[in-house]
Amino acid sequence: MPLPSAYCPNYYSIDDILATQERSPSKFLLNVPKMGKLNPSEGEIDLKAGTTLELPTWLVLEICTGRQPIVMPDLPKIYKESYREILKADACATFKTRFRQLMDLADNSISDPSVQQRLDTLERRLFRDSYNARTKLNAWLIESGATIEAANMVVNHKKRKRIDVEDLIN
Amino acid sequence: MDPDEVEYLGEKQFISIIPTFNSNTIHLISGGDVGPFRASIPVRVPLWMAINLKQQQKCKIQQPDWMEVEKLEKIKEDEKSSRTFTEMPSEHYMIEGKLILGCASDDIPRADEIRTIIKDIWDIRMSKIRSSVDTLVKNTGSYAGVDNLTIMEINSIRPILPHALDQIYRIKATRKQLRIQSQGTTTFLSNTRHSTSFNTAS
Repeated sequence: MPLPSAYCPNYYSIDDILATQERSPSKFLLNVPKMGKLNPSEGEIDLKAGTTLELPTWLVLEICTGRQPIVMPDLPKIYKESYREILKADACATFKTRFRQLMDLADNSISDPSVQQRLDTLERRLFRDSYNARTKLNAWLIESGATIEAANMVVNHKKRKRIDVEDLIN
Repeated sequence: MDPDEVEYLGEKQFISIIPTFNSNTIHLISGGDVGPFRASIPVRVPLWMAINLKQQQKCKIQQPDWMEVEKLEKIKEDEKSSRTFTEMPSEHYMIEGKLILGCASDDIPRADEIRTIIKDIWDIRMSKIRSSVDTLVKNTGSYAGVDNLTIMEINSIRPILPHALDQIYRIKATRKQLRIQSQGTTTFLSNTRHSTSFNTAS
């Protein structure tokens, strides 16, 4: 059951293509004739050097390299100082921290659609896969006339009660 | 794997039954020969066959050695006090427990108690799995020992654990690649087309 995602930037990966739609602020280094409409607030025909615009990443990647770069990309907002603290400066660390919550969410099978909206695309896919697997396992555990189950007393005991999802996310 | 597939694997386990009929040896494609069956003489058969015969009322299932309240209580206590996983009496204890108690609870004394203890053991082990998976991911361990875990238990953390580890690997691999690329280029705006990193330092 391979995870159908690209493992490194991949030309054919839909996820990667969609990710390049994200905008990043970039500063123009040259005057660009006839492209004033990209910056409607100025109302001029030509785009002047020094203008800062948010351009999609796929465009920036093309025009920031080469012999004569047209724009100078800036760090996207989500990687600015203030956000770095949130990300702990590392995608890997963030993923690891959120992983426990993700696992708990998937295990405590609650059909609450709002939970999924707080996950990013990658996490949502992991969530969906593991949620399905967990549902199957639970179905297996309770199927066939005689169930193997914990005693009523144990189920009712406070410690064993289902964890509140709201607390997990916050 | 689906739990059903794991169950299928577990059904190859041999258990003891007391048949109520006579029959010659049965030659199975996998698992070898079974029988001959003589009424009220115990014989060892694969679990799936025992279940089938029981459903036709053609045998009594003898409980496996470990399926006794005292032994299971002991296992449960060991499991509780140990930090690591203890060895289970059977590679497929959950499957055997579920199938045998499901169709032959009349052959097993104190079936209800056994059912509860097995589930308790399962729950203890599941919570251990969850906390150790969490530790593994947080501490960037490069490997994890899965000694004494049964197939059903290992399967319970699929696909989330392998996929998560894949992702971590993927993020790290990209970072490594970027480092190699940036070593070859002095400035960000160099001619290399591959340089896709953003200008961070200057």
